[in-house]
Amino acid sequence: MTAPAATPHKAFSLARVYAIAANTLLELVRLKVFYFLLLFALLGIGVSFFTSKMTFQEQSQVLKHAALGMMSIFTWLLAVLATAMLLPKDIEERTLYTILAKPVPRLEYLLGKLAGVLALLAIALAVMVAMFALVLYAQQQSALAAVASQLAPGPDLEAARQQVRADTFTANLVPGIALIYVKAAVCAAVTLLLSTFASSSIFTIIVSVMVFIIGHVQPIAREYLMITEKGASELARFFLGLVALLIPDMRAFTLLDDLAVAIPFELFMQTAGLGVLYVAVYFLVGYLVFAGKEL
Amino acid sequence: MATPAISIQNLTKLYPIPFKREKVTAVKDLSLTVEPGQVYGLLGPNGSGKSTTMKIVLGLVSPSSGRTEIFGRDSTTVESREDVGFLPENPYFYKFLTGAETMAFFGKLCGLSGARLRERTKELLALVGLENAADRRLGGYSKGMLQRIGLAQAMVQEPRLLVLDEPTAGVDPAGSREIRDLILDFKKRGITVLLCSHLLGQVQEICDRIGILHQGVLVREGRLGDLISIENQTELILENATPELLAEIQAAVGRSNGRVVEQRQPQTTLERYFLEVTGSPERVIGDR
Ligand SMILES: Nc1ncnc2c1ncn2[C@@H]1O[C@H](COP(=O)(O)OP(=O)(O)O)[C@@H](O)[C@H]1O
Ligand SMILES: [Mg+2]
Repeated sequence: MTAPAATPHKAFSLARVYAIAANTLLELVRLKVFYFLLLFALLGIGVSFFTSKMTFQEQSQVLKHAALGMMSIFTWLLAVLATAMLLPKDIEERTLYTILAKPVPRLEYLLGKLAGVLALLAIALAVMVAMFALVLYAQQQSALAAVASQLAPGPDLEAARQQVRADTFTANLVPGIALIYVKAAVCAAVTLLLSTFASSSIFTIIVSVMVFIIGHVQPIAREYLMITEKGASELARFFLGLVALLIPDMRAFTLLDDLAVAIPFELFMQTAGLGVLYVAVYFLVGYLVFAGKEL
Repeated sequence: MATPAISIQNLTKLYPIPFKREKVTAVKDLSLTVEPGQVYGLLGPNGSGKSTTMKIVLGLVSPSSGRTEIFGRDSTTVESREDVGFLPENPYFYKFLTGAETMAFFGKLCGLSGARLRERTKELLALVGLENAADRRLGGYSKGMLQRIGLAQAMVQEPRLLVLDEPTAGVDPAGSREIRDLILDFKKRGITVLLCSHLLGQVQEICDRIGILHQGVLVREGRLGDLISIENQTELILENATPELLAEIQAAVGRSNGRVVEQRQPQTTLERYFLEVTGSPERVIGDR
C-alpha cells in the first residue's frame, strides 16, 4: 500500500471545487436531452437566415433579433432545466452522502455545482454564437454578391460593400451576447437557491419560471405605479419594492432593442455588475440554506 | 489508552414529522466507543436507528443532542472526515462515470492527484477485483460490483476507519463472501470498521464486538465472544471416529462429572454448500 494521504486538510480547496465542477459538467454533457435543446436552438438560428426578401439592413436586423432572442431563450431554458435536476438527483441517488462523507465542505460542493452549470452554459452559448456567426457570414456574402451584381465597379460599389460589412458584425453584438450569458447565470443561481429547499425538481422549475416572468413584468408594474402616483397604496409600493429587491429587472439584460445603436460601455458594465451581484447573493443564500439542511 | 476511532456520547436524534407536532425518535441516548483496530457490528431491525447513527458520526445529519467524534475530532467538523471512508446503504454512484473515473473523482475530493492518484486507483480496483471493469460505466455494474466499487472509493485516501452501512445487502452469496473477505483483509491491516448488517452469520464471522439497537436504544453491547459463548460447554468435532472410539469417549465422560449433551453429525453451512454447487469460489470476479 502507498503512504497515506498526508496532505493537511485545507479549509477551502479550489482543486476540490474544480473536481466537482468538472464532474457536474460531465454529467450534464453526457445527458442526451440537452443535445436536443441545442439542436433546436441551432435550427432556429439557422432558419432565420431564410427570412423574407427585405432590404439587406432590414434582413440583418431581423436575423439578429431573432437569433439573439433564440439564444437568450435557449440559454435560459438550459440554465433552469440543468440546474433544477442537480441537487435532487444527488440526494435521491445518495451520491451526495458519498461526496460529503469525504472532507468536502458544503460550500465547495455547491460552488462546484454552480460552476459546472456555468461552464455548460458557456459551452452551449459558444456553440450557438458560432452558428449565429456562420449565418451572419452567409448573409453578408449573399448581400455582397447582390450589390456586386447591381452596381458597376467603382466608388459606389466600394461604399455599398463597406456598408454591408459594417452592418453585419456590429460591435454591440459582443456586450449583447455577454448579457445573455449573465442573465442565464442569474437564472441558474436562482434555480440553485430554490433547489436547496424545494422537495422536487418540478417545483424548482415552476418557481424559477415564475421568477423569470416576474423579473420581466415587475418593471412594467413599477412604471405603472409611478404614473398613477395617487392610486398606489403604501402597501403596494412596499411590496413592489421588495419584489424589485429580490428579483432583478430581467429586461435590463436585453440591451439590444435597437441594434443600430451602440451600447454605452458604462451601461453594459453596470448591468453585468448587477447580474454578478445577484448571482453572488443568490448563491450565498442558497449556501446558508444548504449548510443547515438535513440530508 | 489510544484515542477511540469512534466515540458516541449520549446521542439522541429526533426527526420532525411533517405537519405534526410530535417527532420520531430515531436514536435515544446512545453511547458507545469503537476502539482502533476493532470490527464493530451494529445490529438491529429495520428502523432501529443504525443508518441514522452512522450519518451522524459522518456529520451528514446533525444530532438533536449529544456528540460524536472520529479519532477525537468532532463529527461536525469537515476535518473529521479525513480519516474515514463511508459506504452508504444501497449506494448509487454516478452512472455516467467508469470505475476508474469514479475512483479519480473521489480521490481528488480527498486531495489526491497525479501519479499517486492513478497508482491508488489501480491498486484499489485490483484489490476489489474490478480491474477488468475499470473502463466500464457504473450504469452497467451489478449490485455486487457497485458495493465493491463503493468499498474501493471509501478506501481511496487510506482512512483508518471504515463505516459500512449494510455492505452486503442485496448481493448474492458469492459476492457477499467477497465483501466479507475484503473486510477481513482491511481488519488485518489494522483498519477499524463499523458496520451494520442483517446477516447475523456474517456479523458473527467478522465482528469483534457488537451492539444491538432496538427502537433507537442500545439494548446489548459487548465482545461478541462474551455475549454468545456458552461458558460451561465444549464442542468436539471428530473425523473418521469408529463406534468403538465413540463408546470409549462416552465411557470416559461417564467416569468424570461431565455429561454429553448432544451427539450429532455436523452439517456444512448452507452458504458453503451453495458456493460448492454454484462453482468455484475463485471465479473471475468483476465479470458477472
Ligand atoms: N430523514 C428522515 N426523516 C424522518 N424520519 C427518518 C429519517 N430518516 C430516518 N427516519 C426514521 O428514523 C428511524 C430510524 O431509521 P434508520 O436510522 O434509517 O434505521 P435503520 O438504518 O436501522 O433501518 C426510522 O423510524 C425512520 O423512519
Ligand atoms: Mg439503514
